[in-house]
Amino acid sequence: MVRGGRVIDPASGLDDTRDVLIQDGRVAQIAPSLPVPAGARVIDAEGLLVTPGLIDPHVHLREPGAAHKETIESGSKAAAAGGFTTVCCMPNTTPALDSPEMLDAIRVRASEHASCRVFPVAAATRGRKGEALSEIELCARAGAVAFSDDGDVIASAGMMSRVLQAIEPTGLAFMQHCQEPTLTRGASMNAGEVSTRLGLIGWPSVAEEIIIERDIRLNSSIGARYHVQHLSSGGSVEIVRRARAGGQPVTAEASPHHLLLTDEACEGFNTLAKMNPPLRTDADIQAIRQGVADGVITILATDHAPHSADEKALPFEDAPFGIIGLETALPLYAEALVASGAIDWPRLIALLTIEPARLCNLDARGLGQLREGGPADLTLIDPDLAWTIGADDLRGMSTNTPFLGRQVRGRAVTTIVAGSVTHTTGSRAPVTA
Amino acid sequence: MTDTAGRLLQIRGMRADPIRRLLASARDASAFRGDELEGVTVANLFFEDSTRTRVSFTIAAQRLGAAVVDVSGKGSSVSKGESIADTARTIEAMGVGAMVVRCSQSGGAKGVADAVSCAVLNAGDGRHEHPTQALIDALTLSRALGREADFDLSGVRVAIVGDCAASRVARSNIACLTALGAEVVCCGPPGMAPTTLEGLGCGVSHDLDGLVGEVDAVMALRIQFERSSSIGSAREYRDRFGLTRERAARMRPGAWVMHPGPLNRGLEIDGEVGDGDRSLILRQVGAGPDVRAAALLSCVSACRQS
Repeated sequence: MVRGGRVIDPASGLDDTRDVLIQDGRVAQIAPSLPVPAGARVIDAEGLLVTPGLIDPHVHLREPGAAHKETIESGSKAAAAGGFTTVCCMPNTTPALDSPEMLDAIRVRASEHASCRVFPVAAATRGRKGEALSEIELCARAGAVAFSDDGDVIASAGMMSRVLQAIEPTGLAFMQHCQEPTLTRGASMNAGEVSTRLGLIGWPSVAEEIIIERDIRLNSSIGARYHVQHLSSGGSVEIVRRARAGGQPVTAEASPHHLLLTDEACEGFNTLAKMNPPLRTDADIQAIRQGVADGVITILATDHAPHSADEKALPFEDAPFGIIGLETALPLYAEALVASGAIDWPRLIALLTIEPARLCNLDARGLGQLREGGPADLTLIDPDLAWTIGADDLRGMSTNTPFLGRQVRGRAVTTIVAGSVTHTTGSRAPVTA
Repeated sequence: MTDTAGRLLQIRGMRADPIRRLLASARDASAFRGDELEGVTVANLFFEDSTRTRVSFTIAAQRLGAAVVDVSGKGSSVSKGESIADTARTIEAMGVGAMVVRCSQSGGAKGVADAVSCAVLNAGDGRHEHPTQALIDALTLSRALGREADFDLSGVRVAIVGDCAASRVARSNIACLTALGAEVVCCGPPGMAPTTLEGLGCGVSHDLDGLVGEVDAVMALRIQFERSSSIGSAREYRDRFGLTRERAARMRPGAWVMHPGPLNRGLEIDGEVGDGDRSLILRQVGAGPDVRAAALLSCVSACRQS
């Protein structure tokens, strides 16, 4: 029993004080002032937000192939610590998740070791090489919740067209990593004043924007569900805005770092701020926030990308791209979007629950929402808890984040997956009545 | 970075005073006794090929009585997969007082500096900076213009011609010359001299013919044509941006020709211009050991005090 919290369920529009009774991993009842059944464990949620379990549709769990960075076990612990009950893992593993067998392997590993629900995104092309289609239909049947060659763009327009055609009948979304490769050769950060100062090859926004433009044009006669991953530029927001206004099936996601940090973070050759797509300018940040406020951007995703300290200690151009995000995302979203006045808490919760659930067709499984009879995945959030992000707060295997030492507000204090507490911090541990 | 004692990693961010102190020390190099760095070992960590810079640093170190060891990228443990930082730590553990670092990655010298506590001098890191080259150029130009008493280059206009965007020499020279009061204009085709360079405090021109008669010095950069696709051919580059005999003839009286070397004769500079009366090129090379000795002494002394 989760008692006395402010229950926010954007799917049903509920936003009021309620008790939530959980039985056998499912939500048994949501109502004001429920009697506590004998023997029930009670979590006092007064002053807390009680929301559907948070969903991150874009994480890298590095398994198989790079278990020194992260595993399904460690990455899902990081997810739980950040309030996430479901993550969708990208297929850029070694080998890639490009076959029903690989998807099955992820399912089995996750069922044995994960602290949250893990759903795989399948590679759209074999080996993510962009040359030949994966077995799209077989992968969909094997549990893929979307398709993507994330980490790489599908560079060939011809291949991209075939990918969209093949995916459209599955009803799943294709998620594009938008990076025109000939415009980004050798580039390691945003093209601008800072890259000019540091002598680093610049990565222009247009490299992202022309892929989005191209794909939308290709898709206009196909009609597949097309999703723009981690958009980084104000120009991209405008392209997506126009396409959505024209009724195209386009969605887009924003990541915490693109909502808060500029390329100035790369000063001093700080590899913790080396990111693909790169951190850009304040104007881009404002445009992306506005895109969230206007409903152009409906998805938030961390792009949780763990790398070892040794890898990030390399010279800037040699170091890998990526920032971890699962443990730190919630307060960063709150800072960038709620504290800034762009949106309110209920909308933020929608962006973290029902919206990603719909993107990955997980709403059909009852995820991303709170309803009687549905899965008891809940996140309890203290929106006012002030804390400083420290390495000790990170439950994953890697600590590559430029947000270490940042003072933030808001934290998931308890995470519940199918009725089991997967994370709790502070004094909100359950007591038995 | 440059504000850390015992490191010379970049000119950008340095104020005029410390630059002028280094230049004055190099100008007065004849006052070096020859035992200033006795007992100190200087390691040349060259992860990228170079002859002239390495030799110049070696002569500088020997002039101060230091011992010198050379570590090159090829044949070193770096070629066996060791990171540059690990190589630096290993060399430092053997008792090295200063490291001179040349590498192909921007920021690589800072990476070494972050890994060790001895003096570190950047001898060229990727496209980022080549600070001693800029000090050499500032000293040489100041002498040629009669400004060596105070190294105040106010009113002096310098054109840097070539692939400025990709050049560590250009980046260091822009920072150094502008700090000393000079005006700098980068010149080249748009891909080599993009207007984004204006953020560094210099001007940008795509018209050498319009610029060549308006400056007190033209610094031609070595063109690595195989790396660049910003212009159609070597022929076209020479036609538009080469410091040809005809262009040199249109320079101001008393204006100087500079080049960090080595020269591609007949491409970015005509041989007779490079060898001609206006040329400071050999004087630049000649100032190398003085400037590097001053820099080594400054860095090692600062390291000893901190």
